[in-house]
Amino acid sequence: MENERTTGPATALIRGQQPGSPCLVMTGTSGYSYLEWVDSGFYPPGTRSAAMLEFYGRSFSVVELNYTWYQMARSDVLTRMLAAAPAHIIFAAKLTRTVTHEREEDWREQVRRYRQGISALGKRLAAILVQLPPDFDRTVSNRRFLAELLDYLQGMPVAVEFRHASWAVDTVFSELERRQITLVSVDEPDLPGLFPRLDVVTNPALFYVRFHGRNSKGWKHGNMQKKFDYDYSEQELHQWCEHELGPLSSRASRGIIFFNNHVRAQAPRNALLLNSLIGRKTARSRR
Amino acid sequence: MNQRRFILHLNVADFAVAVERVVDLSLRDRPVIVAPLQASRAAVYDMSEEAYREGVRKGMLLARATRICRSARVLPPRFDLYRKAMGSFVNEARGYSPVLEHGAEDGHLYLDITGTHRLFGTPPDVGWRLHRQIRSKLEIDPIWSLAGNKLVSKIGSRLVKPVGEYIVADGEEQRFLAPLPLHLLPGLSSGERQRLSQFNIGRIGELAALSRMQLDGVFGRRGETLFELSRGIDDSAVRPEEERPPRVVREHIFSDDCADRTVLKGVVGALAAQLGMELRATRRQARRVGLQLGYTDGTTVSRQASVHRGVADDEALGRLALTALERSLTRRTRVRSCRLIGDRLHGRSPQLNLFTDAAAGPKKEQLLAAMDRIRQRFGREAIRMGTHPVLH
Repeated sequence: MENERTTGPATALIRGQQPGSPCLVMTGTSGYSYLEWVDSGFYPPGTRSAAMLEFYGRSFSVVELNYTWYQMARSDVLTRMLAAAPAHIIFAAKLTRTVTHEREEDWREQVRRYRQGISALGKRLAAILVQLPPDFDRTVSNRRFLAELLDYLQGMPVAVEFRHASWAVDTVFSELERRQITLVSVDEPDLPGLFPRLDVVTNPALFYVRFHGRNSKGWKHGNMQKKFDYDYSEQELHQWCEHELGPLSSRASRGIIFFNNHVRAQAPRNALLLNSLIGRKTARSRR
Repeated sequence: MNQRRFILHLNVADFAVAVERVVDLSLRDRPVIVAPLQASRAAVYDMSEEAYREGVRKGMLLARATRICRSARVLPPRFDLYRKAMGSFVNEARGYSPVLEHGAEDGHLYLDITGTHRLFGTPPDVGWRLHRQIRSKLEIDPIWSLAGNKLVSKIGSRLVKPVGEYIVADGEEQRFLAPLPLHLLPGLSSGERQRLSQFNIGRIGELAALSRMQLDGVFGRRGETLFELSRGIDDSAVRPEEERPPRVVREHIFSDDCADRTVLKGVVGALAAQLGMELRATRRQARRVGLQLGYTDGTTVSRQASVHRGVADDEALGRLALTALERSLTRRTRVRSCRLIGDRLHGRSPQLNLFTDAAAGPKKEQLLAAMDRIRQRFGREAIRMGTHPVLH
């Protein structure tokens, strides 16, 4: 059955709990510029990095920019990228590492520079992803830092991804709700200490899901090629659709779902598979 | 098969100052100038970003630099320390790729990480991890930039100097370069920049708008180079040390700086004899001899002399070295160090010359062979020409 397409490929409108309040769900991948995706056949042979986004846009309508984590968001770089991007694509962008993972004394200045740079995306910015490091636990000083960081990002669409289990408490969720900030739902291995899989929605404007893969063995390896080497089965994604998607989509008007298991182009394959499953689910519920 | 390359350029801005700051923490957050202290007309060898912002530049007279930046701490250069730090810097990078090219002690290195993604992850991730590793182990903070060739990655580094990172996607080179000012383009001489400014061309994109024919008309043979530079085209390989043309190097550092030409000639002659001994021992010959003179004020002058036919005897090498010395002695400043480099090497032909100087040829060779045997057995200074001083 054909998926209902709205603004572009890999999008679906799901009926919400309230009549007349559908949720637009878009799937995509974390990053798009991977040389091995050429080798794996997702991009045609010989595709150059600068042309990848155009090909990506034939399959997806949303992408998570991860290079803004490696380098400070710069308006000249993003303007060049936008010029080559298909018009229907919207973006989520990771906050730079010098604010989250390698915080420096001048992080406030870095946030200011980031805001300035990322503004080049204009209305095509779906969310700024604040990914916090695994050892960032819920201490008083970390809570203070996060509160101040969110203050500095006020006015921007923000999603927060915790990786330490200590943040999975109601007071955190209610504070995010008060600030209208999205809590990122993660799908990752069942390992002690990791942030649990939750279907909590803290921002009615957006839910945000990241599929990291369930590679328990490779998770602590430190090498991305091992950590994110996982291929979701149709059954796993079907189960997620049946149990997790409903609660998320019923409480938000828009949802973005990213696959981070980039190794051997598993991410785009799984994203397309999930999208077709969502399409089938939508068609079933419409009958 | 994908032919795209990923070249990382790492650059520690103000390398000498960065190393001094690792050794002495009190130098952080204050202007620092590295320059020889005892020279009468010493020039700045390196300076910190703070001193640069106040107007201090490399090669500027130290007296002027300290007038401009009065709060600067002036330190004498410690080349051995910088060389050692450079070695550690290079070793960290070597873990990610064997294809590595670096300078002597300038804090620059290129790393070709093409094809390593299955082993180490995506190229930006390699750049970030290597940067983090160098920062935590060596406490220096290099700029890193990633691009499809050496030229563009170097420009990326120049753009974010003194700290930061830059990633240029493959295929994006021309759009990246277009708005940048011409002075960021490596390989462009000041004369060429001046000529281009006469045509009202100040940006790389404006230069790239010119055709090959237009560039050839103005710059002749350099036109093709400018055409490629302005478009970010650079096919040059990252050349590891072992793939670089072989050369033989000998160096002497004066305990007291020297301006006496007779002494300099003697030292250069003695270095040439050392060069000759190594060449003969490995049955090779050199077609070029280069001399690098390090002056007391921190500046370096390099000159060369070459011949069509390779030579390995002390006398011929000495003649080339003295020619290079005459060409190098352009200043009245005292000399601190002499570095003699023999390159364009090739194996010595077993074929005897048809028309040899019967009187000098075999006798001279026998003498050199005997001297080499004595040196091998009793040490380098066991026997020498009367005009050559003892080199320690």
